[in-house]
This record gives sequence, C-alpha cells and structure tokens, in this order.
Amino acid sequence: MTPFAVSVRDLAVQYGRRLVFQGITFDIGAGQSLGVIGPNGSGKTTLLRTLAGCLVPTSGDIRIAGLSPRDALARTGVAYFAGDATLPGSVRASRWGSLGNGDVVTPDRRPIRALSRGTRQLLGLRTVLGRQPLGLIVLDEPWEALDPDAARWLSTTLETKRDRGAALILSSHRLHDLAGFCDSYLFLLPHQARLVHAHDISPSTPVSAAQLVEVFDKLRGGAMSLRAAS
Amino acid sequence: MTSSVSPLRFFRIVTTQPSLIGWTFVVVVVVGLVAIVRDPSRSSEAMAPVLLLQLFAVSSGFEVPARRGHYDLLLTSGHPRVWMALVHWMTSAAPGAIAWMILAMAERVVSAGVHPGLMTSGTMAAMVLVSTLPWAINVRLPRFAAGIGWLLALAMSTSVGSSASLPSDSPGAGLGEVIWSAWTVLVYPAGLVGRDLDVLQSIRAAPAIVLAAGAMIAACRWISRASVPLEAAQ
Repeated sequence: MTPFAVSVRDLAVQYGRRLVFQGITFDIGAGQSLGVIGPNGSGKTTLLRTLAGCLVPTSGDIRIAGLSPRDALARTGVAYFAGDATLPGSVRASRWGSLGNGDVVTPDRRPIRALSRGTRQLLGLRTVLGRQPLGLIVLDEPWEALDPDAARWLSTTLETKRDRGAALILSSHRLHDLAGFCDSYLFLLPHQARLVHAHDISPSTPVSAAQLVEVFDKLRGGAMSLRAAS
Repeated sequence: MTSSVSPLRFFRIVTTQPSLIGWTFVVVVVVGLVAIVRDPSRSSEAMAPVLLLQLFAVSSGFEVPARRGHYDLLLTSGHPRVWMALVHWMTSAAPGAIAWMILAMAERVVSAGVHPGLMTSGTMAAMVLVSTLPWAINVRLPRFAAGIGWLLALAMSTSVGSSASLPSDSPGAGLGEVIWSAWTVLVYPAGLVGRDLDVLQSIRAAPAIVLAAGAMIAACRWISRASVPLEAAQ
C-alpha cells in the first residue's frame, strides 16, 4: 500500500505549559493540497514548522511518505518557507538565491535587508521552490506582500509542482488565494481543529472565498458557544 | 537524496560572524606580524589579541538566528544536524585558527625555528580551549554572551586570586591550589601560550580540556535534538 504523502494523527504541540493545539488528524495524498486557516495565534506557523521537522510535537504522530519528518527531510524533498522575515538581512540576495539548486535566482547583489518586502518574499519562495524533486511543500502565508505578477507565478508554480506529485500544505489569511486551490481545509481555532474537504463545502463547483468565510464563521461560532457552555 | 544545500555551502554564504570580526582579525594579524618581525622572542605576546578576539568570534550563537528562521533552509535540507553543528563551529573558529597559523609560520620563518613559541603544546591547548568552550556555551545565547561572561570570570578571578598566571609547578601543591590552577587555566588560557607543557602542567590543564570537550558534545547533542520554534510564533 502506498503511504500517504503526509499522515498526521492526534498531533499536539505546547510551548512550556501553553497548549498551542491538540487533536489534529489528517491525511494528504501525493498531488493533493491542504489549506490551513485560522485566526492569529491559533498555531498555524507552529503546525507548519512541526510538519517541516523544525519542531518536535508534544504528542501524536507525523508520517511523511511513511517516515518521521526528520527522516523524510533526507529522503523526500521538503520545501519550507515561513516568510520574508526569516531571511538573514546581511546576506546578498544573489548568494541566498544560489542556495536553492545552485541556479541564479536573482542577479541582485544588494543585501536582503535592502530589498522591498515583496522582493524578499519572492526571493525566499523562488529559492526553496527551486529545489528538485519536491515531495512536500510547506509554505506559511506564501502570497503575503507579492505583487499580482509574482502571486500569479506562485500559483502557477504550485499547481505545476502539485501536478508532478508534490503534496502542498499552505496557510494564508487571504482566503481568496486558498479558495478553489486546495482539496481540503484545516480550520485551526483556539484549542480545536476541524478538517473540511472541499467537496463537502461545494460539491460541484470550486470553493469560493465567501464559502470559506462562511464555514470559518460557523465553526468559530460553534467553538465560542462550546467555550461559553463549559 | 534531493538537491539540498550542504552545511559547508550554507555557512559560507550565511556567515556565522559579522564582517567586522574578520577585518579585526586582519588588523590583529598585521600588528602581530610587525611585532614578530621586530622581536621573534615576544611572539607569545602577539598571540594574546588573537585569543581574545577568538573568544568573541566563536561566541557566535546558534539558537538565536535559528529561532529567527535564518537557518530554516539548512534545517530542512536533510543533512544530519550534528554535521550542521560541527560546520557552524568550524566556520566560527576558522578565522582565529587561520590567524594563529599565519603568526606561527611567520615566527618560524623569522626566527629560523629558534623560538617556536606559537607551536608549543601550551599554545595549542590555549587555542583549543578558546575555540571550543565559548562556542559550546554560546549555542543557546545571544552573540558574544560567552565572551563577555568569560571576561567577567577572568576579572573576578584576578580580584579574588593574587595572580592570573599559571600557578607554581611544585608537585607538592595542595588540593586547593590544584583546583585554583585548573580554574586559572580555564579563565586565562593565554597563560599557556608559549609553554611546552610537562606532565604536571598537562594534568592541571586537563580539567579545562575535558570540560571543553564535554561542553562541545552537549552543544552538538542539543542542536541535533532541539525544537526550533520561530520567535514570533510562541
């Protein structure tokens, strides 16, 4: 049996005594994509970082192509980018770009800190997505700060990678970017998570941003009334 | 295995030290070369600034840049984290080691091998201590913290003890003096420079070397297992 590209069971992470999330369970097949949606502080970045092997979960199990995240990093290509703020400002843009697959991503020799936010974001994305082959792509707010051309390039690149078999896990506050793009959506709410498949939201047409907002509000309302009841 | 950046290539581009440290090493080496050319017998004194600068150069810190996400590309490259740790240490210590080698070669050439003070066992022990322990201590601290702490320990030791040089080499020294001498080697390794350590001196230097080795192992072990959350995500 072919293992799922990503399989997560009852995942929980806490920082010290603060529980970030718990009970997260989902599977993603090769060539599928998952959108992670949630308010600020709900644990989106922490979840993505855990999947990328940078964080050790408090409990639960993660399998990437049947392997633990750390082992998967060596066997399956994993691309992870957490936003332009994570790039070291003193490094020259051209040199950082060469860290992907050695190709020239940009000839710009300015330090990264001298670039505009959108240019930094694009540099980071092009560097991690340049690696080949990629079995899993984990991107935190990838469309943030991109201009329309760069946003289009990103969407096209992600679709191409997905068509070649990469599994995608993307978080974004910009629901219109995720809408219609993902096969399933993980709604992260304080202390609870809910996985909703795209065909359950909209069986016949691509999911729209308005439908995602509606589901999000419904789940958030349920979570709030649950908390009030307890 | 996919195409991924190697730790060597990564830390060549994302340097572990500010460029100011490199330029300061250049100045220190030039001044040291002038001193050695003028008087090769005083080469040990030319080594003191190299050791001091090395103390700060290797206090580079791993966790702070890692938690800012600067090392994400490397941490997700699939290379063993122990290898990342060792390369981080090597690139932190390399400028000081190169400076030492240049001065040692100059000394050898100028003095025609008569004053090999910079290639003695004492100098090597001092260089090993200064190149390892601050790096290991600083792994989870902000840049230069271990260097500052070390200088503070040295200042406090000189105010408590009567001398910061190597203690007497008499074999009949008591336990208190042995502990004090081991501590002195630890906080003032420059006192070893130019000496060829005999058995007794080697025994007194051993605790500091063992401590440095233990700290290196602990630091590499921490890097290989650590969770690296983003600062902003906590």
